Amino acid sequence: MDFDFTDDQESLRDAVRRWVDKGFNFERRHALAKAGGATRAVYGELADLGLTGLVVPPDHGGMGFGAVEAMVVAEELGRGLVNAPYAHAALLTPALMAAAPAPLQAAWLPKVADGSAQVVPALQEHAARYRVLHVQTRAAHSGDGWRLSGHKSLVPAGDEAEAFIVPARTAGDDDSSEGIGLFLVESGADGLGVRGYPTQDGARAADITLSATPAAMISADAADALMLASDIGLAATCAEAVGLMDRLLAITIEYMNTRKQFGVAIAGFQALRHRVADVKMQLELGRSMSYYATLKLGEPTPQRRRALSQAKVQLGQSMRFVSQQCIQLHGGIGCTDEYIASHYFKRLTMLETAFGDSLHHLGEVSDRMQDTAGVFA
Amino acid sequence: MDLNFTPDELAFREDIRQWVRANLPPEISHKVHNALRLTRDDLQRWAKILGSKGWLGWGWPQQFGGPGWNAIQKHLFEEECALAGAPRVVPFGPVMVAPVIMAFGSPEQQQRFLPGIASGEVWWSQGYSEPGAGSDLASLKCKAERRGDKYIVNGQKTWTTLGQYGEWIFCLVRTSSDGKPQTGISFLLIDMKSPGITVRPIVLMDGEPEVNEVWFDNVEVPAENLIGEENKGWTYAKHLLAHERTNIADVNRAKRELERLKRIAKAEGVYEDTRLRDQIALLEVDIVALEMMVLRVLSAEKSGKQSLDVAGLLKIRGSEIQQRYAELMMLAGGPCTRAFVSEAMDAGWQGDHVGAAHLAPLAATYFNLRKTTIYGGSNEVQRNIVAQTVLGS
Repeated sequence: MDFDFTDDQESLRDAVRRWVDKGFNFERRHALAKAGGATRAVYGELADLGLTGLVVPPDHGGMGFGAVEAMVVAEELGRGLVNAPYAHAALLTPALMAAAPAPLQAAWLPKVADGSAQVVPALQEHAARYRVLHVQTRAAHSGDGWRLSGHKSLVPAGDEAEAFIVPARTAGDDDSSEGIGLFLVESGADGLGVRGYPTQDGARAADITLSATPAAMISADAADALMLASDIGLAATCAEAVGLMDRLLAITIEYMNTRKQFGVAIAGFQALRHRVADVKMQLELGRSMSYYATLKLGEPTPQRRRALSQAKVQLGQSMRFVSQQCIQLHGGIGCTDEYIASHYFKRLTMLETAFGDSLHHLGEVSDRMQDTAGVFA
Repeated sequence: MDLNFTPDELAFREDIRQWVRANLPPEISHKVHNALRLTRDDLQRWAKILGSKGWLGWGWPQQFGGPGWNAIQKHLFEEECALAGAPRVVPFGPVMVAPVIMAFGSPEQQQRFLPGIASGEVWWSQGYSEPGAGSDLASLKCKAERRGDKYIVNGQKTWTTLGQYGEWIFCLVRTSSDGKPQTGISFLLIDMKSPGITVRPIVLMDGEPEVNEVWFDNVEVPAENLIGEENKGWTYAKHLLAHERTNIADVNRAKRELERLKRIAKAEGVYEDTRLRDQIALLEVDIVALEMMVLRVLSAEKSGKQSLDVAGLLKIRGSEIQQRYAELMMLAGGPCTRAFVSEAMDAGWQGDHVGAAHLAPLAATYFNLRKTTIYGGSNEVQRNIVAQTVLGS
């Protein structure tokens, strides 16, 4: 049992942090958000750092790293409030492509690795809420291949992507775990409509409409792969939230030690000090469960799903508590758009709904309870 | 990063598990698993069983006769004992005063006191708090005056846990009123059979005399019972507080009690009630998160690479969780928890229970655990300490 990072992992962390410090300050982030949240250029810079190939296998041009390295990068992107769709395009897509036929992998993974193609999963349907396997979109095989029809929503940076990874049904009813195929759809494909929009947290998403749109099949039976991808996304969300909370607390501490009221720094008031202690508690519980989520990704499915749900319950609570309290500790300035804290607040708020909110996952934990519990149960 | 224990650590745990299974008397673990009343004999019997194996001082280094385990081995030992239903070792001797005697006591004191602590023969109590010195411990007034080769002790200690059984007591006493309150305190070992000591039990709201007032009226204490130097006692006491880091969270006990909570909820037919079940699920998440935080501290201690100063957080969270499971047991238990039949908390009682037998001790546990957020530095004091570290001001 060991929670130390290796020297290589620390170097990776430093590299991302240096890029944030040099190239992604709040002014740039704020300007990007105000301009509608487009981040293709930012994603290109992450590619220049090699980060888009982090988990892509080396024979497709990637670095073949694992979950801990992904966690380190996600934490640092969170700390820097980076609004590019890193987790989706660089972590989920390679995981989903792992089952693709060799030619399809060879055609796309090198471009995913070097960032020349931003391929994003289109997993969300309007009616699905947090049911990963609720898929209404249909896939039909015709003479010249597969064609998809349906609707996907909240596709990250969808109007900046080169391609989408789309679950669609070849059989079964909307909630069946059987009959879900996984497909790759190129952004210029016939019958594909893309409607982009900004998101609350200064990024960008799109709804896409598929009308007999041609697609290449990645795999025919994708339920397990989708659940795993969702858990990879959940772990990345937890890690990003830890970075966000860590930085937001640091910003808040700095503010409390300089802001004076009643003639003294507000850091001296016990009512506020106890709030800070409670924030630190939620941050460290969150960090602990973020590690837990990442380190449990390789477990057998039942243990993995239970652990990841437990993690998201904790992180959901932590995100809400830390973000709310840090705004309160700032006072009025914390509520403004011009000040950095509100942007951390909005990102933390939106991450609650990423890969299942706390109520959804509390239900999962509740359904999966055993007689014994604990880290190793 | 690796969440798993090493093969050596797993083998160590298995050895401990087998030994505990073979040596923990079932009539004692039955009481622990069902929150029935433990007697002095139960506690001392288990202490002596551990003592005969050399494990009552499980945190001790080998030079003082301990097993010399590292932080993870200590944790695994504590976990196996807790999950098997062993009573908590009364900590005042082996966990609290022994490390002080080892670090600051003379060789004579070490030879005189450590064997009786290690074997479980001698029952130690703690004399810290006073009526006027709770969270503000340094304001203590119990006075020790040097006269020749003796100290004359006068004053009062309170909240002395299980002090009615105590044979020796380690006390913080005032030997000087010069300077800051912290600088005039000494660490004294006192034989509780000394003339002039009066012990009066305090009945807590659960009806049990768990703590005591201890009065000192011109009690003569040989000067050789002073630990270290006069007026340095506060430093020694802080060493003692720093010694207890992870076990303060009591997460292993929480895991065991969570199992009991589920058993009660099932037996009462409310385990499938979503409103209660989701609360149990939340507690389960809280316990896993606390355990992960404990494991992070252990890993940091083992590798020495990271520093993780979260002792205050562990105390706050651990104590909140203890109160929470007791609360949920009451909710699961329902109306029959209102009956107060004191004998129903004794093992083997043959009288009529009000409702199921497992309901009898629930209120007492809930009442008793209100102490956890108050003792050992109240949670508010802990928040002050955490805030000081976080804010750096």
